Amino acid sequence: MIEARGIHLKYPDGTSALKEIEIRVEAGDMLYLIGPSGSGKTSLLKLFMGMEVPTAGELIILGESMSYIKGPQLQRLRRRIGPVFQEFRLIKGRTALENVMMGLRFLELSSKELKEQAVNSLERVGLSHKLNALVDNMSWGEGQRVSIARAVARRPALILADEPTGNLDRENAIKILDLLDSFRDASTAVVVTTHATHLIEDRFDSRIVEISNGRIMERAWGEA
Amino acid sequence: MLNIKNNIGYFSKEAKTILKLNLASNLLSIFSVGLILFILILVATGWFISNEAIMKIQSEAEISLYYSEELKAAEVTVLAEKVKATDGVESTQLVTAEEAYSQMVEILGMDAEVLRHFEDNPFSSYIEVKIDIKEIDNVLQQLNTLVGVDYIRDNREVLQSLMDIEKALRLISYMVFIAVGIATLVIVTHLIRSGIYNSREEIITLRLLGAPESFISIPFVLSGLLLALGGGFLAILLSTGVLRLIYGQMLGPLPFIPLPDQGRIISKIVTLTIPLSIVLGVAGSYFGLKSAAES
Repeated sequence: MIEARGIHLKYPDGTSALKEIEIRVEAGDMLYLIGPSGSGKTSLLKLFMGMEVPTAGELIILGESMSYIKGPQLQRLRRRIGPVFQEFRLIKGRTALENVMMGLRFLELSSKELKEQAVNSLERVGLSHKLNALVDNMSWGEGQRVSIARAVARRPALILADEPTGNLDRENAIKILDLLDSFRDASTAVVVTTHATHLIEDRFDSRIVEISNGRIMERAWGEA
Repeated sequence: MLNIKNNIGYFSKEAKTILKLNLASNLLSIFSVGLILFILILVATGWFISNEAIMKIQSEAEISLYYSEELKAAEVTVLAEKVKATDGVESTQLVTAEEAYSQMVEILGMDAEVLRHFEDNPFSSYIEVKIDIKEIDNVLQQLNTLVGVDYIRDNREVLQSLMDIEKALRLISYMVFIAVGIATLVIVTHLIRSGIYNSREEIITLRLLGAPESFISIPFVLSGLLLALGGGFLAILLSTGVLRLIYGQMLGPLPFIPLPDQGRIISKIVTLTIPLSIVLGVAGSYFGLKSAAES
């Protein structure tokens, strides 16, 4: 699903965000990228989403080399990924259902399938009672759930979540991580970045990779 | 790939949202586009009416052939027959001096009093010749060779002036058409750019979710189309109102000007404005999207 070999990322201002990154993610994996703010977690996730292009090394996502991918090929790849953004990126003035449906509208789905998949995913994240609620009036935790529902409604091969526990209390943060964990299966991998290491200490069936100053520092569980 | 049928409702709603985001500015733009198209319609209608009038005058083109006063009645009849047999002549009619006098009385109406100051009838007998206007040069050349012809009044100067006016109006129409097209394109392009700027976060999100560019663009194209069409409808309303007013004013005091049917002009205005609005709306949206993508 993800294969990174010797990845470097340097921004145009000269900042070196990532150095010598080596990571492999397989279907069914639950991978936590941990590290303090500014360590390079989000930069790595941006590479996985095709928002940045590696300046050196080779990165393959779902069989596509990310060094030269663009246009319709990148669009097709992104449709196979379920992104959960740090600030959710929900469309204001729209309901939860409309936001989830928006991520499905350009897929090959009939109107009925489109609505069914959106409703099912909102039910799965526990928001069946808020289908028609405006996202503007939702709490942080609810917004996060809508964002997750939008990502998983597409039945993606890869779920990428950037700091999904930020701004949440411990109880709700654990619920969100459990929810994300529940989506991994034989054909789906989940990658989550977080700086809240205390929330994942007991997740022994997951892989954890620590990033510091743009480099992979240590591997706690499983091999990176 | 792109399922347009399933997303018609979504696209319409998005277009409405784009227009609502800058409602005041968009309403003012519809008004501006409406006024610009209104100017175009006025000029085009002016050209159309003058063209129709000239065509009608040309179709009724006639010349007056004055013959020598020494000709006897039988010779005049023979001359009229020869004139009728000339290529390009459609019909002839002998007009006596008395008939010419009566015609002038009719034309002058209240001012016919002036004719009473003449002791004798100042008009001469002549032959009224209806011709094919395209053949005027040929007809005049042939008629001038006939024996007994004294003088031919061909009204060519009047016709030439009318044709010059029609030509000038046509030229002005073309220039206004180009100016209006550019002005409308600039307005719609600017509005689409503003719409894209206002919706930039939403656009980025859709791109990150893998939406094709065509999917992202359709609501903007629709909103540009709605803007231009709104302006078009406003222009139609304004111009039909003005046209009714002008016809009301002209039909009374200027009954001799052959105005085309009002309904036909309104239908021409609609036929010109709606497709033009659609083309300008779509083209403006295209340029707006293109320039936003480039920047």
